[in-house]
Amino acid sequence: MRRLPVYLLIDTSGSMRGEPIESVKVGLETMVSSLRQEPYALESVCLSIITFDREVKQILPLTPLDELQLPEITTPESGPTHTGLALKLLCEMVDKEVQKGTPDRKGDWKPLLFIMTDGKPSDTLLYNEMIPEVKARNFAGIVACAAGMSARTEPLKALTDDVVALETVDSTAFKQFFKWVSGTIVEGNRSMGASDGIELPPPPAEVNVII
Amino acid sequence: MDRKHRISARCNRPTVRLNASARAIDSIMREAGLDAAEKERFLGWAIKSLINTYKEERMNQRILIENEVKQLGLRFPNGTVKQDYSHSFPLPTDKIYDIQLEGAEKVGLTFAVTADGVGTLAGVPTTSGDFSLILKFKTVEGEPESELKIPIAFNPNPRDLWRNVPTHSDIPYYKPDSETAYIKVEAAADGAPRKDIVAASQRGRSHAQEGRPRDDHFSLFHCADSDWYVIAVADGAGSAKYSRKGSEVACKTVVDHCKSLLVDNPEFEKAILDYAADREDTAKRTALTRGVIDIVYKGAMKAHEAVKSVSANCEGSKLKDFATTLMFAVCKRYDFGWFIASFWVGDGAMAIFDAERKTVKLLGTPDEGEFSGQTRFLTMPEIFHDTDAVAKRVRMSIVDDFTALFLMTDGVSDPMFETDRNLNDYAKWEEFYSALRNGFPKDEIEGVDLTDDNEAAQTQLLRWLDFWSPGNHDDRTIAILY
Repeated sequence: MRRLPVYLLIDTSGSMRGEPIESVKVGLETMVSSLRQEPYALESVCLSIITFDREVKQILPLTPLDELQLPEITTPESGPTHTGLALKLLCEMVDKEVQKGTPDRKGDWKPLLFIMTDGKPSDTLLYNEMIPEVKARNFAGIVACAAGMSARTEPLKALTDDVVALETVDSTAFKQFFKWVSGTIVEGNRSMGASDGIELPPPPAEVNVII
Repeated sequence: MDRKHRISARCNRPTVRLNASARAIDSIMREAGLDAAEKERFLGWAIKSLINTYKEERMNQRILIENEVKQLGLRFPNGTVKQDYSHSFPLPTDKIYDIQLEGAEKVGLTFAVTADGVGTLAGVPTTSGDFSLILKFKTVEGEPESELKIPIAFNPNPRDLWRNVPTHSDIPYYKPDSETAYIKVEAAADGAPRKDIVAASQRGRSHAQEGRPRDDHFSLFHCADSDWYVIAVADGAGSAKYSRKGSEVACKTVVDHCKSLLVDNPEFEKAILDYAADREDTAKRTALTRGVIDIVYKGAMKAHEAVKSVSANCEGSKLKDFATTLMFAVCKRYDFGWFIASFWVGDGAMAIFDAERKTVKLLGTPDEGEFSGQTRFLTMPEIFHDTDAVAKRVRMSIVDDFTALFLMTDGVSDPMFETDRNLNDYAKWEEFYSALRNGFPKDEIEGVDLTDDNEAAQTQLLRWLDFWSPGNHDDRTIAILY
């Protein structure tokens, strides 16, 4: 069966501790349960979650939507944000987990990537090195989200044209963001087979599109 | 001895022993240099501190066991609403007891543990959603009950979630959500049955869910005088906004083109007969190939041009908005057997299937990319520029006879064959043919009765196209010459 792989990269650095990360968790739960109401998504979407702070971890390996259970997300007290390292792990996982078509096997649909951060990469050098690598991975869409006032959009714009911003990092903002993400995944589902990637649905008021 | 006396006699002996041990404690205390006056205080202290150690040890033991249970990493796989659920897992019943699973009943499941320590959660989940079940168990007598939260989710049955929203008839290039056709070709003068064509096209569930139109198309033609059959099937790209028109124009154009060049073409007929009589002759082969290119390859080019001109006349649209695949075949029966010429660009499948000789001949190779959905379209000009454009896409076949000639879009071939390799595997085609004729009884999908002149086959075929296959909900179109 053809799968639609979806990778979520979530900033879990110290600044996300407390309300922000709790709001992210609630947002993720809402996203998963609303995707499960979409029959196509339920049969084809696979989700992976990579968190990044000082450490970078794939806390959820690519798992079919119907089988997955959201893992615990923890944040350290403080420390750097290794966004570049997260992109590196992402590339490794995409190479490992996303199936390309062969005469014996149907390929997956082109994967989608969502990356959310409330700061800026601490490992700038690696981050910049990884950008062409990520682009070479043939994502159908990359959406980057700068959450909160101290999130920097410039590094994200180097990664993708689709950068959105959240003014606040509270539960309303994240709820709206993840709702929009699930809408984008459903849209990705719908336009599978498109040659030029996906079209983003219009974002809600809480999500600002950065031009 | 009366009863009272007997009791006091029995109690006497322990008292004596107690006195003896009390004396022993006194003497130990004296030896240790502790005054007898401090005895009570000392004993109180000793007992209290020992009880604390005892309790601590008991607690540690509980935590140890709790951790052990946690280390098991108990996970319940998710289930589906209204479908049987059963999951068994080992529990360390030598260390834990009074095991319960709180919340199981609320979701319609029961939980039981066997004597040899196998826990089973089973039943039929009633509601969809994410839930937390709590495994409650005792570890050490006197310690509080232990708890372990285990998440579980029940998914809705995807089949219950599909909606069938009709397509708005006022959209540009509207076409009905489904279509069927049957071309009945009566028996020849000598009474020998002649092949018929049946075709059906059904909008995919993923389109029906959102009221989007069907993008597939087919066109059929049979000429009673010349006995030529022409069959075309096209799959409009799901992402292209007017692909439904692209597929329609492509099918109609090739059928018209082939029709005009076939119904009265003595030169081509002669080329076929000449070549059939002497298949080693290169000059005859070349003459026939030329004819085939004029009809089949040029037909495809004409279809490309026709789609292009529709897109040129549609303001604000590009050619790729009309992107479509195309496969078509022209066939005729002769005394020497069947002559079949075909063209194929894109995915799907087109094949001559012969159940008697147990052979299948794929009339080309599907265009598949590394990722799903990356195929080639009729609307890409480069497909006519490739050096092997003719060799790759045009096929010419002569066969004695066959069971069926199939043309189908990937909405049918993907779920039925899964991979390109399977498309070349006769056994898979036999399975497919059997599924077509017998249907899917488990899913209450009936088979198609492919007997000669059975016009009802078109509605049977349309219903058959509703078969269930997870993740495969594209438009489905199939045409069968049989």
